[in-house]
Amino acid sequence: MTLQREKRQYSWGMVVDVDKCTGCQACVLACQAENNVPLNLQDRFERARAMSWIRVERYWEGEFPDIKARFIPIMCQHCENAPCEPVCPVFATYHNNEGLNVQVYNRCVGTRYCANGCPYIVRFFNYWEPVWPEAFRNHLNPDVTVRSRGIMEKCSFCIQRIRRGVRNAERENRDVIDGEIQTACTQACPTDALVFGNFNDEDSKVSKMKKDDRHYTLLPHLATDPNVVYLAKIDPDRSAGASHG
Amino acid sequence: MAALLEFLREKHRTTPLWLKVLIPILGLGTLGVVAVTGAVLAFVITAWLGQPIPVLGFDQSIEQPIPFSHTIHAGTGVYENSLGDQVQGLGMDCTFCHRTVTTQANAGIPPVQFCAYCHQVIGKDQSEPLTQIRMAAGVIGDDPHPINWKRVHRMPDHVRFVHEPHIRYLTANPEAITNSTSGVKTGAAGVCSTCHGDVASMTKTVTQVEPLKMGQCVNCHRDNNAPTDCASCHH
Repeated sequence: MTLQREKRQYSWGMVVDVDKCTGCQACVLACQAENNVPLNLQDRFERARAMSWIRVERYWEGEFPDIKARFIPIMCQHCENAPCEPVCPVFATYHNNEGLNVQVYNRCVGTRYCANGCPYIVRFFNYWEPVWPEAFRNHLNPDVTVRSRGIMEKCSFCIQRIRRGVRNAERENRDVIDGEIQTACTQACPTDALVFGNFNDEDSKVSKMKKDDRHYTLLPHLATDPNVVYLAKIDPDRSAGASHG
Repeated sequence: MAALLEFLREKHRTTPLWLKVLIPILGLGTLGVVAVTGAVLAFVITAWLGQPIPVLGFDQSIEQPIPFSHTIHAGTGVYENSLGDQVQGLGMDCTFCHRTVTTQANAGIPPVQFCAYCHQVIGKDQSEPLTQIRMAAGVIGDDPHPINWKRVHRMPDHVRFVHEPHIRYLTANPEAITNSTSGVKTGAAGVCSTCHGDVASMTKTVTQVEPLKMGQCVNCHRDNNAPTDCASCHH
């Protein structure tokens, strides 16, 4: 039972211009720092238990020496028809009226059904109590819960920043200005490949970018209706008009 | 028969003393079990509904490093200070010291230098708490150091409580102030007392008077048409 998009005040979403992405991983680092994501040490990678709410996937195209690297940042798509939501037995993940797929940490009992249901592999389970080096203790973001062992976690679209932005707008008795609220990854992106905003606002940057011919969503055949829209890579070698996908 | 007596004597010799004491106590039977279970259940139920009974270290009154008096600063009556003198309460606004409460998430404890703005001149030299304040602020001696105040109202880690919108709403809508523990209904003290009780009349240390459980939060949010989305507080 999700609200219709038109009836919402906000419908938060992101547009990722893959053509601008250089694969620098600044978004990954910014997310890690903003959201108290545990450090991925070597043993975590070796056990395939590394966590990163946003990751930059790399693909090789062509054969050496005529080879090209392709990058695509992938985070929680905040699907309108999210496969993770109906499987949760305790309603720890649900869709709120701002278009966000929300994970409630204190409700989660760690069944991991949602991670199994997610086709984008963006949900991560805390197999261990998160441990930071002693020097990092006071570097944790106080606005974000530190997830303990046995809790599922994922990209929240930096909901703490959304809340702060909406709160500031309410205090000053105005609407949220487009571009005022930025997630950690969009703020860190040096080429503005990631843009965050309100899809319900027709004049917002994301709404305009979404109308671009290059737009597509990930795994569209699953009909998850994601709130993250990708803009395809422009390939100068190919003939014009054949650049979709 | 003789064998049985021999067996019992053997048992009596080998049974340790603590078992000899424990077995009769356990033997008190059903009545004791019912009483103990009832006491435990009463404790759990009260802790669930509100605050636990102040026994076994669940006492809510927290000893502060310096016996700061909220009554003399915020109250309006006549109070006894640390030297035993009768002094008139100042009736100061809560936000005079807890300044960030109207703009930020935390109400904020003022730095000790803030205390010293007034107290380098106000207050007698003999007063022990004031001497500590002046030493901590560097007015006396040359070892300024922060005071490690103990936190009284603590939210669990999965709750993100922000003071600012609550203060803003209650200041604009005084009719929403529904405090059962004090009659204060006006001004900043009335706004704060909705959750913190009448701090201005707490003679010794500040204690938590409201349960501040999620049920209380949600009831108030429903009454005032505030968001009840989980992600409003849990993120």
